[in-house]
Amino acid sequence: MLSAQITGIGWVTAAGCGQGRQRQDFVMAAGALPTLSRADVFDQPDRRFGRMDPFSRLGLAGITFALRDAGLESWQQKRPIGLIAATAYGCLGTDGQYFDTVIPDGGALASPQLFAYTLSNTFLGEAAIRFGLTGSGMVVSAISEPGLTPLGLALENLAWGDEECLVAGIVDLPAPEGVPEVAGGRPGAVFLVLERTRREVAQVYGELSRDGAGRYFLLGAPVANMAELVARCLVASQAI
Amino acid sequence: MRRVCVVDTGVVTAFGDGLTPLWDGLLAGRSAIAPIGRFDTDRYQSRLAACVPNLVAGPGESLIVPLLERLLAGLGPVPADCKVLTATTKGGIDNLEKLRRGQPCQLETVLPGDLPGRVAARLHLTDAGLNINAACASSTLAVARGAAQIAAGQAEVVLVVGLDLVSEFVLSGFSALQALSVGASRPFDRQRSGLTLGEGGAALLLMSEERACRDGRPVLGTVLGWGSANDANHITAPARDGCGLVDAVERALAKAGLAAEAVAAVSAHGTGTIYNDAMELTAFERIFGGRRLPVNSIKGALGHSLGAAGAIEVVLGLQSLAEQVLPPTVGLEEPEELGRGLVAATSQGFLGDCLLSTNSGFGGVNAALLLGRGATC
Repeated sequence: MLSAQITGIGWVTAAGCGQGRQRQDFVMAAGALPTLSRADVFDQPDRRFGRMDPFSRLGLAGITFALRDAGLESWQQKRPIGLIAATAYGCLGTDGQYFDTVIPDGGALASPQLFAYTLSNTFLGEAAIRFGLTGSGMVVSAISEPGLTPLGLALENLAWGDEECLVAGIVDLPAPEGVPEVAGGRPGAVFLVLERTRREVAQVYGELSRDGAGRYFLLGAPVANMAELVARCLVASQAI
Repeated sequence: MRRVCVVDTGVVTAFGDGLTPLWDGLLAGRSAIAPIGRFDTDRYQSRLAACVPNLVAGPGESLIVPLLERLLAGLGPVPADCKVLTATTKGGIDNLEKLRRGQPCQLETVLPGDLPGRVAARLHLTDAGLNINAACASSTLAVARGAAQIAAGQAEVVLVVGLDLVSEFVLSGFSALQALSVGASRPFDRQRSGLTLGEGGAALLLMSEERACRDGRPVLGTVLGWGSANDANHITAPARDGCGLVDAVERALAKAGLAAEAVAAVSAHGTGTIYNDAMELTAFERIFGGRRLPVNSIKGALGHSLGAAGAIEVVLGLQSLAEQVLPPTVGLEEPEELGRGLVAATSQGFLGDCLLSTNSGFGGVNAALLLGRGATC
């Protein structure tokens, strides 16, 4: 059995932005995602945020809210915290925008600024820079809705001793026009902070575990998907 | 920790299909970099790339499909209980180009998660698979993850497939960033001026030692250790002090239970950009001190195949260990100061059982693998 303590939760969904200890009304709602500005995410000016593509803003916002919720936003020295995200469409929307700058004039007007965001893992780099995170980082994709896969990968990393702490979750914009829809997914970003051992000053939502058959449990009770996991964490935190 | 063996490989590069033309081409110091005929390059910084010969797609099909087919055709039997990890940065990006140009195409190949399902279906595997994107370290991380799963007893067999295409999308982007070399790239050379794109792929079948022996598979080599770390410094440029790469290599050494002295040779990322190569040499200086050991880059011959580079370099690293020779760094004329006594324009022999393979990429990603020589069960 692999397990970890959930110490932070952050999200951006069609219902709004939030973090676990500030809002209890999490829902993976259908509908349009909020257009994120710097002020929605950071109190202070951030010269990078405004330059990012919408996918990176979404992912970075989810990670920021999760780290803030866990009390890990501030830092003095770089920290070996890892990052794992799952996505169905990744930065396909940005890819399309970028290539639209290539088509006219034989590519002479291609945008270097947009090109830098045509990798689905770029926002993990943005988070690493913003929060001094030097752990491993990757974006994973499958042909089906990711479910709890990124959390399972994080549990593995923790069990292998690669990191003591990871931020893991899901991030997706709506399917770009013309691209086949991946069943089951809802646009938004939901990230959780998972820690191998209980930090002294950290409040814990509960223990997430995965058995050998790939089934997930929160505080010993089965959990089926990300929305249910977060909702139950928030209920558990109210009880605490 | 269970030993992780590589029991089969497949590789397709600009030198053709299979290891033999690749190995022979590299040892001969040849370059497969040539003018691009696939799309118009008039407005770009470079007109060169290393493209896979005779790669042809059907109507509306992405070139990633025939590339994958040729890659898998080079593999022997794959057990049905095999897990699948693919690694690509842009997959079927040529079809996204068609979509934006209003041309008909099969759009499922543009989805980042299309590739693992395609591999699983082609090989009749039950695992749905997962694609890993960590920029130019994608397949390095995929090998690391597969090895970790086997070492921890969470899998017995993992197939890692890394592949990427030369596309106008990517060429135009690196051109816009002024990151391309006008001529063929010259890794670790004092006059280097940028990278040259390449394409291809490699497949690696990883098995636990027990399973390899039980199934009577040859052990081509082992994955001894792995590590990755982020620079947390810049999105498109490496940390000049090589901090992330040093961290990744130290993690790999710790995982393998080895000291840096155990490394006999290094297959470096060596893109040919000014900052990447300088960063790597700085990192190697920090890791190995003044020790002079053979270091090479294959990207002056094969170009930079992005997410596929790490997997291709593992195939070559295992061959280097088997033959005890590191192929030349093609394009090298006068090594960078810190590279003297490390990199060479000719093949370098070595004696040892451990080779370090490293890759770095956008987003500050660094990854390292320690490869061991093959052995019989």
